[in-house]
Amino acid sequence: MSMERRGKLLDAAQIRKDFPILSKKVNGHPLVYFDSAATSQKPRQVIDGIRYFYENLNANPLRSIHKLAEEATIAYNAARDKVAKFINADPDEIVFVRNTTEAINLASYALPLKKGDRVVSSYLEHHSNILPWLRLKDIGVTVDFVDVDDEYELDMEHYRSLPNDTRLVTVSHESNVSGTVNDVREIAALAHEAGAMVLIDAAQSAPHMKIDVKDIGADLLAFSGHKMLGPFGIGVLYVNKTLHEHMKPFLTGGEMIESVRLNDVKYQKIPRFYEAGTQDVEGAYGLGLAIDYLNRIGMGNVEAYDKALTEHLFDSVRSVKGLDVYGGKSGKYGPILSFNVKGLHSHDVAYFLDKKGFALRSGFHCAQPFIEDKLKANGTARASLYIYNTLAEIDRFAAEIKNIARKYGRI
Amino acid sequence: MDESKLYELMDEYRNPPHLGKPKDYDALEEGSSASCGDRFTVYLKLSGGTVKSADFEGSGCVISTVCMSRVCGAISGKTKEQIRSMDIKDVKKLIGIDQISASRISCAMLGLETIKKALADKKRM
Ligand SMILES: Cc1ncc(COP(=O)(O)O)c(C=O)c1O
Repeated sequence: MSMERRGKLLDAAQIRKDFPILSKKVNGHPLVYFDSAATSQKPRQVIDGIRYFYENLNANPLRSIHKLAEEATIAYNAARDKVAKFINADPDEIVFVRNTTEAINLASYALPLKKGDRVVSSYLEHHSNILPWLRLKDIGVTVDFVDVDDEYELDMEHYRSLPNDTRLVTVSHESNVSGTVNDVREIAALAHEAGAMVLIDAAQSAPHMKIDVKDIGADLLAFSGHKMLGPFGIGVLYVNKTLHEHMKPFLTGGEMIESVRLNDVKYQKIPRFYEAGTQDVEGAYGLGLAIDYLNRIGMGNVEAYDKALTEHLFDSVRSVKGLDVYGGKSGKYGPILSFNVKGLHSHDVAYFLDKKGFALRSGFHCAQPFIEDKLKANGTARASLYIYNTLAEIDRFAAEIKNIARKYGRI
Repeated sequence: MDESKLYELMDEYRNPPHLGKPKDYDALEEGSSASCGDRFTVYLKLSGGTVKSADFEGSGCVISTVCMSRVCGAISGKTKEQIRSMDIKDVKKLIGIDQISASRISCAMLGLETIKKALADKKRM
């Protein structure tokens, strides 16, 4: 029985109609977009909404007092409210940034970390949750990386025995390579027991599951709008209120201050403290519309549909000879499949698939330590799916992979 | 002609003529691509300012590997100056195609770039 047919969770055929790009042909074949972990496609509600913004609401919010600026301000604040509600936070805990990368960098500059402190990241991380912390080594911060086992699961023992000097535990909610969904609730609890703060990289989870910062126990949480149906250029850093008074400035300039005298500067409170200069108002507005779209479907339905896609994806490739599939057995996975065709470089697999209309990413996926040291690979091909993908697309994909492995691989 | 022709070169990809570490060499250089995972080591035998022979180890995609090997073949007998002035046009000529997509240019150029690095005047850096 097909998931799309069952239609209770989510009507993929109906959803696809909202995504104009999905009717595009690529190399003479219908586009099969399996690269949503890199960036999702955008529904017409978001695309048209951004146009509406420029045609009806465009002004610099928070500054001018005229009517149009007022409307822009209302739209900008409404977007913040929607984001806050989406992750069960308060609006003044939501900082708009460019993307997850900027959010984590902001945190690395703004948290009061000093010489002798320890930051605990993990082997499963995207470069953007590794490099900002490695940079802190220059000021004498120690950075540890929690290991992963053969099933690409984090070594939870490490979190149970965090050293006393641990100030921050930073971890991804979902891996962008293996799709592993980490038990961030447990990790947060263990970090708090050890007296450390917790930052969650939710870049891959926010598009796919209900996020509740209070339930997780996150002190900071970062995600990107462009991976969850929103436009490029807008992302979010959630900062728990209890941290606000301890945090240092990041970018300084217009709108992040209360008063400026050349010998005395008074800053605004978070979030404006971290929103110096004119913001990506279009982006925030677009992200708000993306959240509306997801809410209409319901994140529970998104999650259930993703699960069905993931199961079918793994089931379909399991029987294909000549593949290395990098997924464990725990079943706690997002709709991401990393694999290699034996004897072929991942770029060449992506190339052959592209010729048939399949869009997949290949290479290191900005997670070189995990892929080289743990997967022992020089890259992977990655299929990453979302609500507009179908079981039928997965079937075609599996058939094509089988073809490629037989024709070009070394079985 | 476009890069799809390169995929007719699977045999050359599997057994590139210049693959293997030579017994002796005068210069060694490693090249890798941050996003792809391609990684090559080139070994050059030099005589004065001329490359006598070039070989490589490592692995990459079809495009980077075939280009790597063919560039190795093409540079023996060439002076450092001649090699330094080579560019993507020369690589395209070597592999007999004139269209490489923007995202694959770095694949095609990895070999030549690595060889150029090996020939760079290190003292001046
Ligand atoms: C887990 C994870 N963290 C962080 C990022 C960085 O996101 P962005 O490029 O939007 O800053 C990504 C994006 O690929 C990701 O998958």
